[in-house]
Amino acid sequence: MSGELPLSGLRVADFSWFGAGPIAGLMLRTLGAEVIRVESQARMDGLRMTQPVPPGKEGSPNVSGYFNNYNAGKLSFTLDLSRPEARQVALDLLARSDVMIENYTPRVVQNWGLTYDEVVKVRPDIIYAQMPMQGSWGPHRDFLGFGAVIAPVAGYSHLSGWPDRLPSSMGVNYPDYVINPGHAVVAILAALRYRARTGNGQHIELAQVESVAATLGPFLLEYTVNDSVPERSGNRVAWACPHGAYRCQDGLPLPVAATLRMAASASPPPQLEDRWLAIAITNDAQWEGLLDVMGRPAWAQDERFTTFLGRKRHEDELDTHIEAWTSTLNAEEAMRQLQARGVPAGVVQSARDVLDHDEHLRERGFYQYINHAETGRSAYDGPGFRMSGAPFALGGPAPLIGEHNDYVLREVLNYSDERIAELLIGQVIY
Amino acid sequence: MTANPSPPAALEGLRVLDLTGLPGQYAGKLLADLGADVIRIEPPAGSPARNRPPFAGDVPGPNTSLAFWYWNTSKRSICLDIATEDGRALLRRLLPRFDVLIHTYSEAEVMSLGLSHAELAALHAGIITCSITPFGEWGPHAGWQADDMVVSAMSGLMTLAGYPDRAPVMPPGEQAAICGSIQAASAILAALFARDRSGAGQHIEVSQQEAMSITQETAMQTWDMRGELRRRTGNQKLLPGFGTYACADGYVYSMIGVGGFGSPLPVLFEWMNEKGMAGDLMQPEWQTALSGMDLRQLTALLTQPDKLAEMMTRLAHIEELIAAFYAAHTKEELYVVGQNRRLLIGPLNNARDIRNNEQFNTRGWWQEVEHPEQGRSYTYPGPPYRHAQTPWRIHRRPPLLGEHTLDVLEGELGLTREQTAMLMGAGVI
Repeated sequence: MSGELPLSGLRVADFSWFGAGPIAGLMLRTLGAEVIRVESQARMDGLRMTQPVPPGKEGSPNVSGYFNNYNAGKLSFTLDLSRPEARQVALDLLARSDVMIENYTPRVVQNWGLTYDEVVKVRPDIIYAQMPMQGSWGPHRDFLGFGAVIAPVAGYSHLSGWPDRLPSSMGVNYPDYVINPGHAVVAILAALRYRARTGNGQHIELAQVESVAATLGPFLLEYTVNDSVPERSGNRVAWACPHGAYRCQDGLPLPVAATLRMAASASPPPQLEDRWLAIAITNDAQWEGLLDVMGRPAWAQDERFTTFLGRKRHEDELDTHIEAWTSTLNAEEAMRQLQARGVPAGVVQSARDVLDHDEHLRERGFYQYINHAETGRSAYDGPGFRMSGAPFALGGPAPLIGEHNDYVLREVLNYSDERIAELLIGQVIY
Repeated sequence: MTANPSPPAALEGLRVLDLTGLPGQYAGKLLADLGADVIRIEPPAGSPARNRPPFAGDVPGPNTSLAFWYWNTSKRSICLDIATEDGRALLRRLLPRFDVLIHTYSEAEVMSLGLSHAELAALHAGIITCSITPFGEWGPHAGWQADDMVVSAMSGLMTLAGYPDRAPVMPPGEQAAICGSIQAASAILAALFARDRSGAGQHIEVSQQEAMSITQETAMQTWDMRGELRRRTGNQKLLPGFGTYACADGYVYSMIGVGGFGSPLPVLFEWMNEKGMAGDLMQPEWQTALSGMDLRQLTALLTQPDKLAEMMTRLAHIEELIAAFYAAHTKEELYVVGQNRRLLIGPLNNARDIRNNEQFNTRGWWQEVEHPEQGRSYTYPGPPYRHAQTPWRIHRRPPLLGEHTLDVLEGELGLTREQTAMLMGAGVI
């Protein structure tokens, strides 16, 4: 292990907010870049003010688990870009940066006077990555977004859920967390490689709806090639059967919300968590393994179930038989028995499971527990990959808002005491 | 006619051996569409990825899987059975000419095939290897069997999707494979950057479970910080105007009434009024129904389901009128007219809607890709990102099975036609 992270020595000016932009910055930080999160109390990142927050710590901009998890190891520099004096500070920072990231609607960087054409004058080889929802041009360029609208517009929501119900979506703003930030990082790293060979920086535009639609390629080809419009199919797929999530014995009591726990009198009887096991049979060997674990039930000898096509034709009935079996079982125990016979099976794990009960994730040290000045010791997602040449670790806790103003003003920008005082008094650094 | 010189590609000169099965093939596509020479090594019967439905023209065959088409644009294909001694010998001869090798083998398979980083680095110190597997190479669940749904279940994502009265529902389109592939491509490019400095390659391990678990949003931290569990809520409406609605030709998602997220409810009421569908919503009592609601209040309300339910009951009148208004209009009208009023409304687009989307079409997103052996082109989905100097592009249509076997083995390794014929006869290629 060389001790030097892949991107050490690179500086990223991260002007983005909410999910997709900051997570791109997080990935670059984890790879070793110095990432300066440029933010402002005058236009606070909404994630700094949202749940989850440790009970009793509400109100601080530094305690949101949502924000902290996705900004680990960055430096925070507060700059109120609505102030005219802020532009020169931003340009001075960009002149000393290799990469810029932003994810606003296009007019925002125009208002700031920080478009690519302007930034490239102070830093000719900058990699300037823009991540507007709809792109920086086109008839819908100013449409409003956020992850909640990107998934429907780009096609995920229509395909999510049961055929006989309203689309159910994925329960989270899914594209914000890996798809869009991950694509941005691939684009930025490819541009850095090109710069290393030619000396040329460039502008990158990642329109988030395009980036998401690009991950639904097979569905889109189904329409453009076959003139067929794919629909949602629940947990079923054309190439496997049985294929679903099956109810098991109930699990632990569901926790009572922290707000209710604090109200002493209310103590309803605890509801038990429903438990489900995902089982995916993709070939005859796995089917035989399933039957072995089930104890070779009589119904399965029926010729309707002996072939894949037969099982597929009678899938509803098959699912009923399987769930009658799983419903008497502990989900984890059934999973272990099936996996021991080579049958693809996995518990539908909750956050409690992945953090506290998944022995595999624990042994691999996936979740990172980091001390933070205001939240105390908190869990962070580990990196999405492991490199033999670098430690499997985040760059540190999330920054407090403005925590690194002094470092940025003095060490990065080399501003004089007078200049710094002027910016502070004028609340440009805010 | 002089041909326009094509613009440079960001990853010009990068060479990748792609030994992935179904999950993991997107990593190679990401590199190939940016200009890397990615060669897919397939067993003589073809990669199992070629069997994935649906098929072009609904005709099943080794060269018609639309999923294979999509995940393998810009790549080349050689048939090489690395389960044979000759196949492995040829792979070892190819290796020094490449920068990266990506595979989806389990640790046991890696050992039996001689694909460990240590063995390959002995032949080529600069090689970057990358494995993409459901649970990673080590740990109690290494080697466990999983398809995409099983990984989604174990990642913590699936528990958040679906209706409370039914089973959790998997994400569409094999997302664990996509998450794993994107993480892999990021790490590969970072490792190349490190190699430029040190000269040394390295090994990258991607667990799809880990790669996908990052998409749980706040569920993990909500348990860690508050001891609360986020669960699937289906289409539960949070507030009037906030949720999924049926419209005349499908569904729209509407997020109105939260300060900082577009226009407030009275702007929607005004539009409804113009269409004669506002009922009494222009009365002051309804106009101010949600004023003051912001993201902070809303997220606080989410932990108080009783209070939220009470609000929905009190505001049921608004909800009924909004639902009736949406039901009377098309998703396109609600989207375009709504957005022009800064109302946060998005259609639940299907594949046809995306193909016809004005923004995608104006921006020239779709790509016509020639399939010369069929004498026609097909319309492919376009770029995830656009580099101004080194544009993403589909450099060639997905390869036919073994299309480049002879080019590579004869052209690069110098095998004679006699030798390739013998290898073909022996079932190696």
